[in-house]
Amino acid sequence: MANNIWQAQLNIEAHTLKPVELTLDHCIKCNICVTACPVTAVTDLFPGPKYVGPQAGRFRHQGQPSPDHSVDYCNGCRVCNMVCPTGVKIAEINGRARAHIVQSGQVPLRRKLRNNLIARPELMGKFGQPLAPIANGLLHSGFGRFFAKLLLDIAPNAPLPRFSGERFSRWAHKRRDAVRSDRKVVYFHGCSTEYFEARVGKAAVQVLEANGFEVIVPSQNCCGLPLLSNGEFAAAQAYHESNIRHMVDYVKQGYVIVGTSTSCTLTLKEEAPEMLAYHTPDARLLTANTFDIHEFLVHLLDAGELKTDGLRPMPLTLAYHPPCQYRAHRLGRPSTEIMALIPELTIIESQAACCGVGGTYGYKAEKYDITMAVGKPLFDFVQQVHGPIAVCDSETCRWNIAAATGVPLVHPIELLAAAYGYEPEGPLAEVMT
Amino acid sequence: MNSMANDVLVIGAGLAGLTTAWQASRHGKGVRVIAKGWGATHWHAGCVDVLGYWPVDSETPATNPAATLPDLLAANPQHPYALVGLARLAAALGGLQHLCSDAGYPLVGSLDKNWRLPTAVGAARPTCLAPATMIAGDLDDDTPMLLVGFKQLPDFYAHLAADNLVQQGIPARHVVLDLPALAGRNFTTAVNLARFMQQSDFRAAVAQAVKPHLGKAARVGFPAVLGLEEATAVHQDLQVQLGRPVFEIPGLPPSVAGMRLHRILKAAIEKNGGQVHEGMEAIGFAADGGRVTAVHTETSGRPRQHRYEQIVLATGGILGGGIVTNHAGEVCEVVFNLPLRHPENRLEWFRRDFLDKQGHPIYRSGVSVNENFQPMDGRVLYQNLYAAGSTLAGFEAIRERSFDGVALATGYAVGNLVSN
Ligand SMILES: Cc1cc2nc3c(=O)[nH]c(=O)nc-3n(C[C@H](O)[C@H](O)[C@H](O)COP(=O)(O)OP(=O)(O)OC[C@H]3O[C@@H](n4cnc5c(N)ncnc54)[C@H](O)[C@@H]3O)c2cc1C
Ligand code: SF4
Ligand code: SF4
Ligand code: SF4
Repeated sequence: MANNIWQAQLNIEAHTLKPVELTLDHCIKCNICVTACPVTAVTDLFPGPKYVGPQAGRFRHQGQPSPDHSVDYCNGCRVCNMVCPTGVKIAEINGRARAHIVQSGQVPLRRKLRNNLIARPELMGKFGQPLAPIANGLLHSGFGRFFAKLLLDIAPNAPLPRFSGERFSRWAHKRRDAVRSDRKVVYFHGCSTEYFEARVGKAAVQVLEANGFEVIVPSQNCCGLPLLSNGEFAAAQAYHESNIRHMVDYVKQGYVIVGTSTSCTLTLKEEAPEMLAYHTPDARLLTANTFDIHEFLVHLLDAGELKTDGLRPMPLTLAYHPPCQYRAHRLGRPSTEIMALIPELTIIESQAACCGVGGTYGYKAEKYDITMAVGKPLFDFVQQVHGPIAVCDSETCRWNIAAATGVPLVHPIELLAAAYGYEPEGPLAEVMT
Repeated sequence: MNSMANDVLVIGAGLAGLTTAWQASRHGKGVRVIAKGWGATHWHAGCVDVLGYWPVDSETPATNPAATLPDLLAANPQHPYALVGLARLAAALGGLQHLCSDAGYPLVGSLDKNWRLPTAVGAARPTCLAPATMIAGDLDDDTPMLLVGFKQLPDFYAHLAADNLVQQGIPARHVVLDLPALAGRNFTTAVNLARFMQQSDFRAAVAQAVKPHLGKAARVGFPAVLGLEEATAVHQDLQVQLGRPVFEIPGLPPSVAGMRLHRILKAAIEKNGGQVHEGMEAIGFAADGGRVTAVHTETSGRPRQHRYEQIVLATGGILGGGIVTNHAGEVCEVVFNLPLRHPENRLEWFRRDFLDKQGHPIYRSGVSVNENFQPMDGRVLYQNLYAAGSTLAGFEAIRERSFDGVALATGYAVGNLVSN
């Protein structure tokens, strides 16, 4: 371990990871995963993790057609991995099986086109954000959605976000020299903060600066998760390699990477290397030195270095959904630990496994109904708590819950930034006035 | 919200770990449970077996555990039941009964009597506490029964169970339903069927389909799929609709009845402010001055440290993954590398016959503890480390049918010890 939490760990052991498929030999067929899978619970189209993962996996071989196309209905939530008593990497086995189907050209052209489009939020952002008012108007009009369904099979009611007026990185660039410190961290904003919710990135920078850090925002790409979960591995690897190139030198200088999107940080740490079987020394350095922001704050808290004095009280009772992609970090619930520091704030945690959207999954017309059925217990819970806003770390999750319930969603870091006294933006601003 | 003190860290979320955490949190301790995955609660029958057979090679089941236990303790003073003592065993059973009653899911029975409940293949299974949803199946009662299967549930063989029961003198018939609501499926699982059972129109369709087959049946048996959270209401509603007692028969994993106990215990821990984290595998620890100072768990990036005052090891034995073996004949405890009691030589692990009445020596392997459940190697190894459940050495759980009883009683005892 490094002396200080904010110092990157550079002594990384050589990788010894086995291909995920080999973990299927640990399966004892206990069916525990099937009891927990939120998709199996709502549709006959998906027999369940054990069947499509370790079971069908025995019959999948290079150069042969996959025996089981229902694996495409896995939404990648990883709930199965969390409950399996023997450590089978079921979700990854499923993801790699899907990639095999995609690579062997078994996906119809229209679907492939659609999957490739929705798996590239960076591309959409680069074109859409500069035209924000027009793009927002088009994307949210019934007309635009009708054609999206007709041409591309994109679910007409799926929760589309709105482009921000200003890209997050522009904001960060303008105030680049505002804070100077020996303690530096690198911030990975991801596509959602960059193009849609700059306020999350601002809150993260404010919190880190309030704790004495200088925040470096390097140029960066999409983490590649949407491509991974659509089986487009070559394109995902290109993004991952580019991110390593952009960030690994900072790590080598001793700075760690902190992110606010739980699925981006999971991809940098684990998903990309495991799914792509990509374990170069630089990829290992990134894995070992990437943190979710609340994971990082909990480390500071444990070391007695987190600013916890003078927090502004927030007399609110809010529902919080720890997203499945955050639980999959296997860290417990760090955001809950941090929100507990805010005076007068009452957080009620959801017990729901998943909101159902699964990144791009819920945007597909053939899967939209499954998404809504999976998310129903969570939507009911959010409405029952009846807060003016609700809280979740993952962006697609926030958009999905907000679209389904009408309750606006915020990232937990926005709460801490506001408790530190920073001016909130968006839904939180309306609640705090 | 819940800035609780770091008092007790429990490793493992089976019956032993959850019981420990429930007891400690009930006494106001700040408790965290970490577990690699879910445990045997999802496999076992959802009953509490205390002692089914003693001596272990006995052909006839024990009818009264309270009467047989003193013999067991005299013959095996190292048995976990000997460390717990009969008074604490009874208190543990009573405590769980109380908790489950409060949750609206009564467990029926006492140490003075074993029920004889039918298994999925129609054998008689001795058990001490069983949910009220299973009691009408008791084989001391020889009134006629109808067993109901579902075409889409391949894990329950109604015909086989009925045939076997007839051979034991119980008049039993069977029917296999093919309901329109399930018609589109090739198969379904016990858990999905339990969710269906919570819908009143599905239940009405089940009752409607069963009624023409009732004949002289005085009671009706189903696989254990009568609801998850709402089991008691589902069970009662079916009894009303069918006009006679209804019972559940637990079968292959996943066990719906076991999941109900898991839910109740987890809810009790969380209500007391404790945390239960699954997907967290303990992979190492740090110690200083004869105390465990931190336990390390695997995460997506780098190990996370958990610093707690007291640590409880409840990772299960060989079947639960807390103890691993290899073909070189090594037997290891996975978190603390504790010294284990186990057969010296790999050739002694197993007896010749798979169903040998003495059981297999390897399954008696485990951690040796003192009367305070602290792992020992001639002396106490770490002042703040305890062990509970199947990870303990020196008992033949499979033959004795004592897995649940030992897990519950030792979990209860340790949960109270760490609260003092
Ligand atoms: C919950 C559950 C329910 C089940 N239900 C059923 C059922 O209904 N019907 C059914 O038919 N089956 C069922 N099974 C499966 C069945 O019990 C097992 O598949 C069967 O016992 C496997 O026997 P095996 O000897 O082939 O493999 P195992 O019992 O797994 O034995 C494998 C052996 O190979 C050894 N080995 C492994 N690698 C090496 C090596 N490199 N060198 C030397 N030795 C090695 C291992 O040490 C072990 O001894 C179930 C299993 C479980 C867990
Ligand atoms: S990842 Fe989620 S959807 Fe996929 S099999 Fe596992 S639990 Fe089911
Ligand atoms: S939970 Fe794990 S061991 Fe059990 S059936 Fe699923 S994959 Fe296999
Ligand atoms: S949006 Fe959230 S809950 Fe939904 S699938 Fe993704 S991470 Fe899981």
